Amino acid sequence: MAVRISGAQASDGHAWPLLSPKAGMLFVLLLALLLLFLLDIVLGSVQIPLESVIGILLGRGAEHPAWEKIITAIRLPKAATAVIAGAALSVSGLQMQTLFRNPLAGPSVLGISAGASLGVAVVMLASGGAANAFAIRQLGFGGSWLIVIAATLGAMAVLLIVLGIAVRIRDNVVLLIVGIMVGNITISLISIWQYFSEPEQIQDYLIWTFGSLGGVLGPQLAVLGAVVALGLLVSFSASKSLNVLLLGENYARSLGMSTFFVRVSVIAATSLLAGSVTGFCGPIGFIGIAVPHLTRSMLDTSDHRFLMPSCCLVGGILMLACDIVAQMPGTQTTLPINAVTALIGSPVVIWVIMKQRNLKSSFS
Amino acid sequence: MNNSILQTRDLAIGYPAGKRLGMSGNRRSGNRSKIVAEGMSLELREGELVCLLGPNGSGKSTLMRTLAGVQKPLGGEVLLSGTRLDRLSARDGARLLSLVLTDKVLTGNLSVYALVALGRYPYTGWAGNLSPRDEAVVRHAIETTGTRMFAHRHLGDLSDGERQKVMIARAIAQDTPVIMLDEPTAHLDLPNRLEIVRLLKMLAREQKKAIVLSTHELDMALQTADRIWLMRPVDAPHGERKSSIVSGIPESLVLDGQLEQAFRRKGFEFDLHSGSFRFRHDAERTIGLVGDGVRAYWTRRALERIGCRVVPGTAVPQHVVVAGENGTGHWQFFDGSTRNPHKLQALSDVLTAVGVSASSGEVVR
Repeated sequence: MAVRISGAQASDGHAWPLLSPKAGMLFVLLLALLLLFLLDIVLGSVQIPLESVIGILLGRGAEHPAWEKIITAIRLPKAATAVIAGAALSVSGLQMQTLFRNPLAGPSVLGISAGASLGVAVVMLASGGAANAFAIRQLGFGGSWLIVIAATLGAMAVLLIVLGIAVRIRDNVVLLIVGIMVGNITISLISIWQYFSEPEQIQDYLIWTFGSLGGVLGPQLAVLGAVVALGLLVSFSASKSLNVLLLGENYARSLGMSTFFVRVSVIAATSLLAGSVTGFCGPIGFIGIAVPHLTRSMLDTSDHRFLMPSCCLVGGILMLACDIVAQMPGTQTTLPINAVTALIGSPVVIWVIMKQRNLKSSFS
Repeated sequence: MNNSILQTRDLAIGYPAGKRLGMSGNRRSGNRSKIVAEGMSLELREGELVCLLGPNGSGKSTLMRTLAGVQKPLGGEVLLSGTRLDRLSARDGARLLSLVLTDKVLTGNLSVYALVALGRYPYTGWAGNLSPRDEAVVRHAIETTGTRMFAHRHLGDLSDGERQKVMIARAIAQDTPVIMLDEPTAHLDLPNRLEIVRLLKMLAREQKKAIVLSTHELDMALQTADRIWLMRPVDAPHGERKSSIVSGIPESLVLDGQLEQAFRRKGFEFDLHSGSFRFRHDAERTIGLVGDGVRAYWTRRALERIGCRVVPGTAVPQHVVVAGENGTGHWQFFDGSTRNPHKLQALSDVLTAVGVSASSGEVVR
């Protein structure tokens, strides 16, 4: 990042403050991400020695063909999915918090995840009468294009409703309540749909709601990666405008920013990011709200040009950590990822918020 | 002398029909556009400090928003540097006019330096990277406003006065010929208010910026403004509230009685000598006052405050004499019933004595 100001010394000897946080922090985060990535691949229900894992990753093969299969076909895609999902959810949460000027905003709070769930529910539960039921079952949970598209459309629909109301309401607290209510309406639609569905379909859907990083393999991983990359690109390009949005919409407009453009950009990016991840991995909570706070307090900056990449890294790290805990190393059991993110994450967030005394002044 | 930077021609401001959500439950008024003021022809020149005055609800904020292009005019036009506001691109507009609002800023971890640097938004590329020139402008803005010593601090850690200076620094960094400020001195203590006004005055004088600020502080406006735009409510048919605007130098507006008319309310009167509004006491009694100098002035103020009409001299039976020098001074109160005065050492005792004599007088009557 080329924003660091060359250490100009002022006349009285005090250096001007730097706009950028320590670039070394990004490097440390990257290193941590790589370490956890490796750890996530090494640990699992089948014990594979570290040397063999590295050998397989470097393409040298392994003494047991089964190990190679486990690593390349299961653990590697799962770890990659964790990084992608963590990055996507964190960046969408960051944008929502800035756009709505609310520390509690995030894809799950404002009904976006619920919207994605409704999209998925429509596809999964409506299949009872539809001809494509078999095809969807074959593809497994969240495996098909159809589910991703349904999730993205569902997320976008709810976000558009919330934003349509946001245009009329200036009060952020009111808007947040509206968002939560829209989410509740969406969830109740899902329950009604479930009530009239077959038990197996409900079970499929329920398992989908637990969240899973394991179902994204091969071409699906490529699709998820591409969609998230597109969403991240849109998000990154809005960094400058999001910085100005910290001043509020009136200031942003007076500085020549198109608030309409930024809103559309954030909606589009968040729908792509949260929608696709929810479609493939299920509704993963907490990450979207927590990571932006963690990142802000770690980097001590509000410059989105740094927060965006850092959120990607921190989100990836946290998701990998959750995945490591979820597979309970040394046992045959795997916990649902959605439960683990909240279980581990919430105390972390509470700790950060207690430590960071200026959170309230940051947002209210 | 044609260095005018902003003009309005026959400008009408207000809210278009059907867009007044939550303004009132009255349907009929919601369907028509609400004109706050119309027929305004104003001019703003370089190097001029203009104070926008007017009672609450007279449309100051609406005018500011319209001039800044945040809100569309209902009629007429605004010319910024010779170009109609609606023909200017957002970016070009942002290079001509900057705003300081009362909006709360979502501070996050925003440092003062980073916030001021956001003023360069209309000049930077898509990534928002600052060029050396941008940095120089930002630093200059910080030094001009005297915010250098807390440039590294977070916005949340600043006092109200410091924060306002930082917001002005941001506007200076935007490097525009026009700066508009919405009540920049509200919620500030006296030293901070004076400092802010001095800073704005300096910007107008030395950097030839045209500055418009809305304020409720009459004294300050009368003392500092090169010109005053005074908005005042006028009677319109159908009981609507509309405002008209007059532009003039402060002293003329006082002498014309325009200022008094704009703010006139029951129970207040405008003192032409001090240029400020005072409570009008419906005086029940008259007290004489003998003496001069500072002590006599404040004695008079105190007596007026408790509701007496004060006349000079001893013609009135009840009167107060301010006696002695400043350090050793005392007061003599003649209550009208005895010839001997009460000698009092403190002004508060004078007020008590006057008050007691008032109530006992009533008993007699």
